[in-house]
Amino acid sequence: MGEIRTLIVDDSAVMRKIVERSLRQAGLELLVVHEVGSGTEALEILRAQPVDLILSDINMPAMDGLEFLRQMRAQNLAVGVPVVMITTESSEEHVKQAIQAGARGYIRKPFTAEQVKERVLPLVSAA
Amino acid sequence: MLNGVREAAIAGKNGGRCERERGMAVSLRESVQQVSDPRNLDASVEEVFQMMLGVECRRHAPTAAVETESVTAVVGFGGLLSGACVFRSGARAALKIAARMTGMEFQSVDDTVKDGIGEICNMLAGAWKGKVPELAANCGLSVPAVITGHDYNLHVQAAAAAALPPRQSAPRSYRHRWPSACRAMHPK
Repeated sequence: MGEIRTLIVDDSAVMRKIVERSLRQAGLELLVVHEVGSGTEALEILRAQPVDLILSDINMPAMDGLEFLRQMRAQNLAVGVPVVMITTESSEEHVKQAIQAGARGYIRKPFTAEQVKERVLPLVSAA
Repeated sequence: MLNGVREAAIAGKNGGRCERERGMAVSLRESVQQVSDPRNLDASVEEVFQMMLGVECRRHAPTAAVETESVTAVVGFGGLLSGACVFRSGARAALKIAARMTGMEFQSVDDTVKDGIGEICNMLAGAWKGKVPELAANCGLSVPAVITGHDYNLHVQAAAAAALPPRQSAPRSYRHRWPSACRAMHPK
């Protein structure tokens, strides 16, 4: 598995670090990580450079994770790149909305590194 | 937690409600019982601390406060339920929690510590509402607000449109069992 350019979107810097560490624990050693705190910043990153994997929170100020996904698709950014939502929202309705918006995976907070591995690794391996 | 279920959702005043609405009202009354069940909160606390920090955290009788500086995080509920989840910790415990989350050491309650405590509160609120299906689907969470300092009180405004009298759950105290060495939960 080569270098994996990863975009982590969460308004909590602490949570971004935890997600990054969980990815490394999952065996994704060659990570190049971009971290941003909102959907708006994430769109700017995607306009400027390609990524291989996106992990995004849902509840964020300014632009939430679902709107970020919709905007990303509407602007044809990161086409075909797997997106995994990592969020405290756990209802079927939220999962459905995320999938409809283009997410390929869903991880509920709190989470373990093992759960990150199970949900993310297959997506990266298949890409 | 301070909460009240919205009147329109639980007991419509108009006579012509459809079956679905009546069913929902019955379901919501059951949910109110779940909302009031403190075991859901205990389970949420244990789940968040175990999964994110690898720390056992159980309900414990409150001890006499010896630490004046504290950190309080608040996450608001909106939609079906109005209220807030409030997480309060002494400053020393907050430093340990943040250290466990980040793998860093902290000497004072800085922005990273506040961020970490806000996320703990966020996950507690999410885990708690996730245990009540109607809330999981119909109740949103605010982003966390964090307060630090000495000798302060927190007041959460009750929702005006609540069917049930707003009530504040009795504060519940928990004690962490820290491992001998404080390290990051997900070390590099």
